[in-house]
Amino acid sequence: MMRYMMSLLAALMIWALPAIAQDSGPLRIEITEGVIEPMPYAVPDFVGENAAATEMGRNLARVIASDLSGTGLFREIPAEAHISRITSFESPVQYADWRAVKAQALITGAVSVEGSGRLVVKFRIYDVFAGQELGNGLQFVGTQDGWRRIAHKVADQVYSRITGEGGYFDSRVVYVAESGPKDQRAKRLAIMDYDGANVQYLTDSSSLVLAPRFSPSGDRVLYTSYETGFPRIYVLDVASVGRRVLPTMDGTMSFAPRFAPDGRTVVYSLTQGGNTDLYQMDIGSGESTRLTNAPSIETAPSYSPDGRQIVFESDRSGTPQIYIMPAGGGEARRISFGQGRYGTPVWSPRGDLIAFTKQSKGRFHIGVMRTDGSEERLLTASFLDEGPTWAPNGRVIMFTRETQGAQGQARLYSVDISGRNLKQVQTSGGASDPSWGPLQN
Amino acid sequence: MLAGPRLTGRAARGATGVNTGQIISGAGHLALIGWALIGGVFQSAPPPFEVVQATAVSEEEFAAIMDRQSAPDAVADVDTPEPPAPGEAAPSLSSEADTPPEAAQPDANEASPPDPAPDVSQITPPAPAEVEDAPPVMEVPQEDTAVMVPEVSPRPQPRPAPRVAPEAVERPEPDVRVDDVASPEVTPDEGAESVEEPSEATAPEEAATEIVTEAEEPAQAAPSASVRPRSRPARPEAVAEATPEETPQPEATPEPETPATDQGAVNDALAAALGEAQQSTEAPSGPPLTGGEKDALRVAVQRCWNVGSLSSEALRTTVVVGVQMAESGKPEIGSIRMLSASGGGDAAAKQAFEAARRAIIRCGNDGFDLPVEKYDHWRDIEMTFNPENMRIK
Repeated sequence: MMRYMMSLLAALMIWALPAIAQDSGPLRIEITEGVIEPMPYAVPDFVGENAAATEMGRNLARVIASDLSGTGLFREIPAEAHISRITSFESPVQYADWRAVKAQALITGAVSVEGSGRLVVKFRIYDVFAGQELGNGLQFVGTQDGWRRIAHKVADQVYSRITGEGGYFDSRVVYVAESGPKDQRAKRLAIMDYDGANVQYLTDSSSLVLAPRFSPSGDRVLYTSYETGFPRIYVLDVASVGRRVLPTMDGTMSFAPRFAPDGRTVVYSLTQGGNTDLYQMDIGSGESTRLTNAPSIETAPSYSPDGRQIVFESDRSGTPQIYIMPAGGGEARRISFGQGRYGTPVWSPRGDLIAFTKQSKGRFHIGVMRTDGSEERLLTASFLDEGPTWAPNGRVIMFTRETQGAQGQARLYSVDISGRNLKQVQTSGGASDPSWGPLQN
Repeated sequence: MLAGPRLTGRAARGATGVNTGQIISGAGHLALIGWALIGGVFQSAPPPFEVVQATAVSEEEFAAIMDRQSAPDAVADVDTPEPPAPGEAAPSLSSEADTPPEAAQPDANEASPPDPAPDVSQITPPAPAEVEDAPPVMEVPQEDTAVMVPEVSPRPQPRPAPRVAPEAVERPEPDVRVDDVASPEVTPDEGAESVEEPSEATAPEEAATEIVTEAEEPAQAAPSASVRPRSRPARPEAVAEATPEETPQPEATPEPETPATDQGAVNDALAAALGEAQQSTEAPSGPPLTGGEKDALRVAVQRCWNVGSLSSEALRTTVVVGVQMAESGKPEIGSIRMLSASGGGDAAAKQAFEAARRAIIRCGNDGFDLPVEKYDHWRDIEMTFNPENMRIK
């Protein structure tokens, strides 16, 4: 009997051992809920390493802060709250002081103006709570006139290292600058930094211009002009402001052009005999290929980032809806099924989303959906929102918003793809039809 | 009343004869009469009027009663009370008239200080009553109209706020400092002996539970997004006689009734088992953390887990982070490490880990609220940061 009991006891202990061992491991918890709020950061004035650079150090810090805070993902801790002062770029960072003001990231930098007039900017990014540097320090060299671009490049680096995705601050936007009353509005092409600075006009206002579109490399712009009385497509070299008209058949109207990702092909709409279809043109040879052949109106084409597909707008079902077809033409499939009218679809640079304009119940919206039409989400709502364009990183959308009434004016707005951070882009006057260019080299 | 005995008698007669029947009949009658009397069959109903008790009073008694209402006759023979004992101190008497109670009479000569003007800045005047002389207008009954019942009930929309958190927080007062915890304002009390350190009132930052876009109007009941018809789920195929996957059989345990069990072998097994247990369980002692204690830790960390600045790929990445804790409840910063990551590339995992590390350090800065007596159970913690729920916000 005793033997029996001992054996039973041994068996029980062997059976219970795994449970005991499991309980002795680390405590395990799962975090599934967090918060979404701007990350607090500090960017003290960059240290001026010579007298000529002191003012520049302050200006650089202000532009960097404007870029980062403007995303809605970051919140600057104002300089008045800083405990530590950065007086030397090489001095060790007093993390405790920055933790005390709840800064999670710290950007320090120094700037010097060399004898040749070159501007040298170096900077570092710190994870304050981890007490360590985020990546290595970097240095940019440029001209003094280009100091804003250097600041944008620093901000792009900060954005990229913290969020893990590319920035969009060192980029430009081409748009239609508008002036005058609504019934006699003058329009001309203009180009500016993404934040509205450094505006340059590319055309005069002698003729109506529409829908400028950047080339993938940002060196050329396609646009539609009524210079001849009919809409014709022009291609403009940004550096020289030289332009030429793309060849089309007589008696036709061509409009809504957009570059293919290779930069050599253009897809556009052509109206002939009252019917509008999509065509593709090789810019070098000027040869066009017909992509659609339907009695309905096909327009507003946009290539996928890999150049294999085209998303466009068609009213073949009775109301304007969004369709996708192969880049060489072929059967199209409809992807928009909601109530209302859909138009001006634009493929995201990431390839995962399509931005569009939607008109429903008397209001206009900018929205996004997956490339199969699922997960549609409306980001804005107003009297008139239209013409979305993507930031180079696919995170932000810029569009035109026009206010109601005789005094109504068109302005540019931007919004995060989550629907947050809707804000107006600063322009000197009226502005419409934006096209966001790529990151500059 | 007669039917009962008559029937009873008939039955008895037919069965047992006259005498027996009479006896039974008599007994039955007696029982019935007894039940009727005692059982309350003949209880009278209560009278339908109220009964008032009256008492007859004689002429003398009436006169005596009337005399009590006049003054009593003076009685000359009164018992004199005994004087107090000489040892007792006589109470001091005062001949002064009692002072009349202070009446709250207003002094016309003395001008009372005017009452301080009430602070009416916080008082909103009542809205003037709307009085209309017009006769009330009868409401015209609405015509019967068919109303489409929305398929979805309108959900209360959260107010837009720049911060998205698991729990909605009202916007704090403009002058209130934003802090992780809410605390009332402390001002020095002049009357108190010890003056408390003054401190500002604090309140948590305003937060909504999800992102509300401009297009998502609060009153909107119908869904704004197009809902595509779902494809019918595939009919489950008949499972071919698949043999169930063989589950690993537990190791054969020693047969308890094996007659050949050796005491030495048992001892060896026990020693081995105990040895393993000592190796693997080393420190933990006492009860493990309760569910509430684990929840408190989880809530404390998620309060600081900010995914707002993460890329969409990092928001698809789940990271498991290991951390060693000091007995004070503070994380050992150098020990925070990524144990594993899934769902994204290396760059995304790095961003996700850094956000998780910031959460642990920030909210553990003052030490997590963990029971010291159970330190052995939370010395090492593995936290899985799963952003799946955060992607749709």
